[in-house]
Amino acid sequence: MTGVERSVARWAAVVVVLVEAGLFASYRGHDARFHWFTHFFVGASAALVAMGVVALRTRRPVPLPLLWVLLGHLYAMAPDLAFTGGVAHSRWMDVFLGHIATHFVPGRNLLWYAVFLASLGFYLAVLDHLRPAG
Amino acid sequence: MTRRRLVAVWLAAALAFGAALAVAQGTRGPLDDPDPALQRPGFLDQGDLPAAAPPVTAGVPAAGQRAVVFFERPAMLAELCRALRRQPVARADVVVVVPAAAGGCGVPVVVDAGGALRRAYGLRSPRDGGPGVGYAVVDRGGRIRYRTLDPSVAANLHEVETILDAT
Repeated sequence: MTGVERSVARWAAVVVVLVEAGLFASYRGHDARFHWFTHFFVGASAALVAMGVVALRTRRPVPLPLLWVLLGHLYAMAPDLAFTGGVAHSRWMDVFLGHIATHFVPGRNLLWYAVFLASLGFYLAVLDHLRPAG
Repeated sequence: MTRRRLVAVWLAAALAFGAALAVAQGTRGPLDDPDPALQRPGFLDQGDLPAAAPPVTAGVPAAGQRAVVFFERPAMLAELCRALRRQPVARADVVVVVPAAAGGCGVPVVVDAGGALRRAYGLRSPRDGGPGVGYAVVDRGGRIRYRTLDPSVAANLHEVETILDAT
């Protein structure tokens, strides 16, 4: 990684953390934070699996990995952004990574936490696999 | 990245998100739904809905007219009433149900001492086991289309409008 790439990666990480903090705060009321966790875990898990597959195919780590995670999260929570704009949820919104259905799985967010850790483990295992020998 | 560092990244994520999840769970309030998935879900016809809406007053719900039935505790009634005066719920009849007498509101207030209305509307019991605080939305056909516990409903009246718009 060049110095410029490292600098871009650092700034991207700062931006992602700030945006995620803003998204967390946007879920007004402590009861709504449950929804932030659901959509973060689901969106991040989908992104991590996609990142792992892309990395395996290209034989190199994906650039700006945290940005992938943020985009996955934004896609999963898109109906909540629409709700803030006055559009109630509908069942068809499950096209956004199961936006409705993912709330009702057994174990609720604990299950998605486990899925997230498994997906992160998959991507990190791919990175380990791609490490030059020696 | 070395294997050791990769493992450290995984462990850090596991600890950070596990702790955040535990804190979020621990800060849930006594008036919240024991199952957070059922609180403010944001979509109509969840579970056994729609269901026929029992009468709350002689005129609510009325045929051809939407209604919002708020369920509130006496100590929090004044806050809800202030919010309703600031931001009236348009295009629907509004009634507030309380478990004990609590004064006027500017909209009809019904005392439901035994909890019969709460049960008839299927409002869940919050974590503290007492009367639920939240609301139900009734469509023009006299059917309950939405119900949720929402202890912050006075601050979330815009959500009530969003749900009303969807019915």
